[in-house]
Amino acid sequence: MSETTLDQTPQSDAREGVASSDRRKFLRKSVALAASGAAAAAAGNAYAGDVKLETVTEPLKDGPTRNILGRGVVSVPYGMPSKFEKNVVRRNVSWLTADTVASISFTPWQDLNGIITPNGLHFERHHAGAVDVDPETHQLVIHGMVDKPMVFSMEDLKRMPSHTAIHFLECPANGAMEWRGVQMDSMQFTHGMMSCSEWTGVKLTDLMEYVGVDPKSTWLYAEATDGSALQRSIPMEGAKDQFGEPIKASDCELYKDAMIAYAQNGEALRPENGYPIRFLLPGCEANMSIKWLRRIKFVDKPLVTYQETRHYIEPLPDGTIRQFSFLNMANSVINYPCPDNQMKGKGSYEIRGIAWSGQGKIAHVDVSVDGGKNWQEAELVEPVLSKCVTKFKLPFEWNGDEHLIMSRATDETGYVQPTLAQMRKVRGTNSIYHKNSIQAWKIEKTGEVKNVQIENF
Amino acid sequence: MSKLKTSKFGLGLAAGAMALGLSTAGIAAEHASGFNGIGKNITDKAIEPWDISVFYDGENLPKGSGTVEAGQEPYDTQCAMCHGAFGEGAEGYPKMAGDPMPQFITSLKQGLDGVGNRGVNNAWGHAPTLFDMIKRHMPFYAPGTMGVDESYAVTCYVLNLANIVDYEFTCSNETLADVKMPAADYYVTDTRPDTDNQRCMSDCYDYEPKVVGAAVTGVSE
Ligand code: HEC
Repeated sequence: MSETTLDQTPQSDAREGVASSDRRKFLRKSVALAASGAAAAAAGNAYAGDVKLETVTEPLKDGPTRNILGRGVVSVPYGMPSKFEKNVVRRNVSWLTADTVASISFTPWQDLNGIITPNGLHFERHHAGAVDVDPETHQLVIHGMVDKPMVFSMEDLKRMPSHTAIHFLECPANGAMEWRGVQMDSMQFTHGMMSCSEWTGVKLTDLMEYVGVDPKSTWLYAEATDGSALQRSIPMEGAKDQFGEPIKASDCELYKDAMIAYAQNGEALRPENGYPIRFLLPGCEANMSIKWLRRIKFVDKPLVTYQETRHYIEPLPDGTIRQFSFLNMANSVINYPCPDNQMKGKGSYEIRGIAWSGQGKIAHVDVSVDGGKNWQEAELVEPVLSKCVTKFKLPFEWNGDEHLIMSRATDETGYVQPTLAQMRKVRGTNSIYHKNSIQAWKIEKTGEVKNVQIENF
Repeated sequence: MSKLKTSKFGLGLAAGAMALGLSTAGIAAEHASGFNGIGKNITDKAIEPWDISVFYDGENLPKGSGTVEAGQEPYDTQCAMCHGAFGEGAEGYPKMAGDPMPQFITSLKQGLDGVGNRGVNNAWGHAPTLFDMIKRHMPFYAPGTMGVDESYAVTCYVLNLANIVDYEFTCSNETLADVKMPAADYYVTDTRPDTDNQRCMSDCYDYEPKVVGAAVTGVSE
C-alpha cells in the first residue's frame, strides 16, 4: 500500500488538477480494499483533503558520520541495537507484583514492525526467577506410562529429527489490568505479555513414539528445574478432569503440536525463556510451556497443580471457578497508531497491527475507525501461520477528527474476537485471565492517541 | 547437501567420494527411526528423587506427618515475613487466608473485587496440592529446602490459619487427601468459547458509544 499512499500527496496548489485525479485513484484503491465502499465512507476513512507540505530551502549538510571511520567488525561481538533505540526494551509494572523474581515483563510491540519478537524483547514470566542451567549436565527424563523410561542429554536431543515452527507465546494475564477499567497508557502494558518466535526442537509426538507411551495414558505433565519446579498437566485423547468430566476433544489434541524447544529465532533459547530447553505448547497459555524443562511424565489423571488450582483459574460471575482454560483465543491490537505512536499531522497513515489465535490461522482482521459501527477488512501480511502472530494493515486518511480505532480478529474456526461488553457480560471483572476483547484507541483532535474502553460495545 | 557437492565436484577426491558413499548408506538405512542409539534407559529407582509430584487426590504424597503446633515455629521464622503472622499477607506477597468462601462467591456474583482476596481458603481445590506447592516452591528465598515432616507441619499450620483444620489436626500422607478445601466443589473445566461475536461490517449499532478513559494517568510507571 505504501506505493498508493506515498505518491498521492499533492506537491503544491499548482498541481491541484493532478492531485484531484490522483485523489480519485487513491479513493478507488482504498475502496477496493475495503469490504464495501459505503462502509469506507461512513467509517470516516476517506481522503483527508489536500495537506499543504512544508518546503526545504536550506542546502543539505553532511551529518557527523560522513567524515569519520566507524567501528570495526566484531567490535561488538554480539550485535546490539542502535544506541538510538535504547527505549525499545522490556518493561515491568512495579506495583503488579511484590518483587521482580515472581513477576512479568512486557514486549514493546509498539516498536516492532514484524511478527517475530527479537530474543532480547521476549516477555518474561518467572515464578522463582530466571536461572542459568548448564547444558553440559542438564538432563530430560521421560517416564511414567511408557515402555522405556529414558533420559536425554542436550546432545541427544540435537541428534533427533528436528522440528521448526513459528508460534506466539502468550501469558493468559495479557490485558488483565483492564478488566475493571482503563489503567495502562501504553500498548506495551495492554498487550505485551505476548511474543512470537521461530522455535526449533524435537516434536513431543516423536519422543512419545520412541519411549513407547501407553495408549491408556490420558495426561502428561511437564516440570521445570527452577526454584518453583513449575509443573503443568496437559491432556491427551480421553482425558478427564478431577471430577471425571471429559476434557473437550479439541483440547486433547493440543499436545500434538508440542515440542521440546532448544532454539529460539535460530539461536539457543535465552535463559529468561528456558535455556537450554523448554516445553512448547503452541496456542495455549504460556504457563504450560514449561521453561528449564527437566521431566515429562505420562499419567492417567491431571495433577491439578498450584498453577492449575490457584493461579490460572477464572473466577466467574456465576460463582464458579473455571479451570483448565488452556487456549488463548483470537486476539488483535493496533500498534500503529497507539498510545505510544501518536498522529503527526493530517494526511495519510497506514493503520497496522497484530492478530493471533491459539486455535489456528487468522482468517480476517477488520478495522473500525468509528468505534465499531462500521468495519473495513484489513490486508493480512504474509506469512499467515497457525498459532502465530499475523500482521495486518489498512490505509487511513486522517483529517484531524476524533476517531475511535479498533481491530477485530476472526480465526479459521470462525471464532470472532469479542467486544469488551460481551466479554464482561460472561466473565464479570474478576476473571483475570484470557481477556481477548477488542481494544479501542481514541485519536484526539490534537493527534494524541489514548487507551479507552467503550463500555456499551 | 552443498558440502557433498563440493566434495564430489569441487575436490573430486577419493575421500570426497567415500564420504558421499557413507552418507548415502546412512540415509538409505532401512527402518531408520531417527532415534537409533540416542539417549539412555533409566530405572525408576534412579528417577525417584525427581518423581515428587503429588496428585490432587493425594497420590504420591511422601510418607511423613506434621501437626499444626509443629508448624508454628517454622512458619513464624520462614514464612510470616512475607505471608503475615496470621496469613494476612505482607509487603504485597500473597495472603494465606483470603475472603471466606461465601464472601468470595458474593464478590464474584456482585462484581466486587474478589481477586485481591484470594487465598488457601477460597482458591485451592485440594490440600495435597498445597503440600506439594509448599514443599517444592517455598520458602520463596530457599525453595525445596524443607524436609517432608516440616513441610507437612507448615502446610497444617497454613490450613489452620485459613480455618480449614483444627489446631489438633495432624497432616500426613494418610490424612491430607481427606481435608475438604472450601473451594473444592466450585471448579468447572473450561467450556469456552463463551462469547459469540458476529462479523458485522456496517451499521453494527446505532447508539452513542460510551467512551471511558483512564481514571488516573501514569499508573504504568
Ligand atoms: C520472600 C517472601 C516469601 C517467603 C519467605 C515465603 N513465601 Fe510463600 N510466596 C511468596 C511468593 C512470591 C509467592 C507467589 C509465588 C508464585 O508466583 O508462584 C508465594 C506463594 C505462596 C503460597 C500460595 C499462596 C496463594 O496465593 O494462594 C503459599 C501457600 C505459600 N507461599 C506458602 C509459604 C510458606 C509455607 C512459607 C514458609 C515455609 C513461605 N510461603 C515463605 C513469597 C514468600
